[in-house]
Amino acid sequence: MEDSSIQEYKIQSFDMETQTLLKTALKDPGSVDLEKVSNVIVDQSLKNQVFSREAGRISFTIVQAETRQSGGNLFRRNLLNRLQQEFTAREETRRRSVQEWVCYVSFICNIFDYVKVNNMPMVALVHPVYDCLFRLAQPDALKNEEEVDCLVLQLHRIGEQLEALNAQRMSELFFLLRDAILLLDGLSSLGRLLLLEVLEVRASGWTLSDPAKKYYYSEVTD
Amino acid sequence: MSNQHRHARDDTAAHERRNKEVSGWSHCRKRGADGCVRSNGEADSTNNSDRRGHRSSLPRPESFTTPESEGPVSRIRDWGDEVEADEMRTSVRRDIQRYRRRILAGDFIQRERKTSSGSSDSQDSRDSPAAGDIETDEGVLMRRQKQINYGKNTLAYDRYVKEVPKHLRQPGVHPRTPNKFKKYSRRSWDQQIKLWKVKLHAWDPPAQEGSDLQPVEGIDLGEIMDLDFDFAEDPETEIQYPKSNNAASSLHEVSCGGTPSKVMKIDQLSMA
Repeated sequence: MEDSSIQEYKIQSFDMETQTLLKTALKDPGSVDLEKVSNVIVDQSLKNQVFSREAGRISFTIVQAETRQSGGNLFRRNLLNRLQQEFTAREETRRRSVQEWVCYVSFICNIFDYVKVNNMPMVALVHPVYDCLFRLAQPDALKNEEEVDCLVLQLHRIGEQLEALNAQRMSELFFLLRDAILLLDGLSSLGRLLLLEVLEVRASGWTLSDPAKKYYYSEVTD
Repeated sequence: MSNQHRHARDDTAAHERRNKEVSGWSHCRKRGADGCVRSNGEADSTNNSDRRGHRSSLPRPESFTTPESEGPVSRIRDWGDEVEADEMRTSVRRDIQRYRRRILAGDFIQRERKTSSGSSDSQDSRDSPAAGDIETDEGVLMRRQKQINYGKNTLAYDRYVKEVPKHLRQPGVHPRTPNKFKKYSRRSWDQQIKLWKVKLHAWDPPAQEGSDLQPVEGIDLGEIMDLDFDFAEDPETEIQYPKSNNAASSLHEVSCGGTPSKVMKIDQLSMA
């Protein structure tokens, strides 16, 4: 259980103290400072590319553990408040470090994907997530491959759910993407390819048909 | 930071209100008589910018802008609050569905057996409301659910539930969670909750005075005197008020509906 949970939650790169804290939180949330735990998770997500894409799972497990043990919500509440603070400061973050900004987007999207409430995604996050994706779809962001990469990754992972919750904003987002494919000078050829692929994925109901898979991935070694 | 935003948002709201008053369109924010989208100058575009193709000059979080479909937001909420409110709303909706199905099934079964003797089914002993006669106002249900949660979130309730399985419950002796779907006046409901929580104190953990061996102790007459007796609880049971060192504080807590008892107890235990 110990090793598999480290693997599963992608925390193997953290220092021992942090790993222990998180493992204890999973087993016995009442015995740790959950506010501290949520801060640790947010901070690590902003620094660690790999973890930012997977933090949702460990977060949800802790949420459920806390509910089961005490009916409480401290962890989730603090996590959301931190998310909100970082959201408010996102433009500043992006100016300071595109990496950190990209980590934040991955993180909030992953939380949206995994932390469900009554089996539904947290509706309060829909607009903020869209706001982030819209930011990534701006011309200045699309010129950076890492931002394009982040954008298409999130769309692959949560595009379908997002569209179900707010189809209009998804349409508007794709207007921007289409414009970029056709008109944006600074878009790299890889960027263009990534956007075309996600365009097609959406058009076929968020899956990739076999011919499309061949077209986009035949040259790619994974 | 939030003060700034509140200020900006108030300005926007005030600006919109002024526009509305001037043009006389109190019911329609977006369109003029010709059906075209009316531009309110900054107010509208500021509200829209976050939602329509992001104009990154004003990256205000969505919770600070007035959502068009839902009407004015009375106060700025943080995501923690919003998610909890959503959670309660979806739980309550799910509960309504479940309850409706239950009473419809119950009605059917009741018709099948004409005489129901000794049945402890809640739908027999108390008049089960017709499916159309239940409380459906979400605000009311959410408030009631919150009050029920405060009571259930206690050590006393945990111990009670473990000690007395549902089928062994005796009416009058064992506290029963008030049914949030029945129509009651506000006063009646609040009193039911109060009494229910007081009764639950009989199962407080023995670390406190007033253990479950002695539920009948002194009565706080001041509390009883203004009780409303128009609900379906057996009046005799009201005598069983556990009075302990904690009675004052627990009754106080009951009437303010503030800190959930569990949190209080942990504090008390840690101070012991």
